[in-house]
Amino acid sequence: MIPTFNFILILFLFVCAIAAITIRDLLSAVLVLGAYSFFMCLLWAQMTAVDVAFTEASVSAGIGTVLFIGAVSRTERRSKD
Amino acid sequence: MFESLLHHYNYWMFIGLMMIGFYAMMAKKNLIKKIIGMNIFQSAIILFFISTSVKGGGVTVPILEHPEGAQGGFVDVMKYANPLPHVLMLTAIVVMVATLGVALAVVMMIYKRYHTLEEDEIALIRRKQGLKC
Amino acid sequence: MKTLSLISTIIAGAFLIYGSMDMPHWGDPYSPASTHVSPYYLRNSLKDTATPNVVTSVLADYRGYDTLGETTVIFTAGMGCLLLLKKRRKK
Repeated sequence: MIPTFNFILILFLFVCAIAAITIRDLLSAVLVLGAYSFFMCLLWAQMTAVDVAFTEASVSAGIGTVLFIGAVSRTERRSKD
Repeated sequence: MFESLLHHYNYWMFIGLMMIGFYAMMAKKNLIKKIIGMNIFQSAIILFFISTSVKGGGVTVPILEHPEGAQGGFVDVMKYANPLPHVLMLTAIVVMVATLGVALAVVMMIYKRYHTLEEDEIALIRRKQGLKC
Repeated sequence: MKTLSLISTIIAGAFLIYGSMDMPHWGDPYSPASTHVSPYYLRNSLKDTATPNVVTSVLADYRGYDTLGETTVIFTAGMGCLLLLKKRRKK
């Protein structure tokens, strides 16, 4: 638990979360969400929760992004908001 | 006030992340954007639970050191982080991906039927067909 | 609609911040979450399960039924995806 490092990671999380819900191109938004998941994984590894960190890195950032990309490529890529 | 800020700022950060996800779930019209909001929301809640397991200062991961020497001996509890929230949130992450898969399958079925992902356009099509929406 | 959802989001956030004032300090080693059940697991997991990693010993041994329920959830989700996405035969 290092407060400044923690604060910087949470700041990156905020940037990624706001970018993921404002980008209009859905594929870019999904990839930014993958980056959000990896920052979350880094934050958990820093909070000494290593098992949760690598579960997140493999399951949520890996399989989740793959599922999202599959769904976006079978539907449409543009969104209005 | 400043002391309260120092000790509680991380809870407020998680509340901020949760609010971003909540806003995306309610205000965005695109269905994929709603699912992205749901993902952010769930991650923020899991982050909150993980942060309750933190013990400050010189605490390591919950893997016991020197397992041979500690056999039957004394384990210093204050040296290791709290393992219980880690276990429960490990379950929650897997359930999160399961809900994500089902939600994306439902969205793909909706696209197959209405050929759009926008909520208002789907409502318009249903109204034109004389269905309730 | 957007302003309504923004207002309700801010109200929910304000209630949560009000509730977070009663939380224990962040990183407090004597908070109720860290002193109630988890010391038992930390002290006895090596004796009971012979596993140095406490997280896996709790996940697979002390709370094995929880993991069984999780597996049921994943099985149900996979079945739901298969039933939703299978090709329907035209009649």
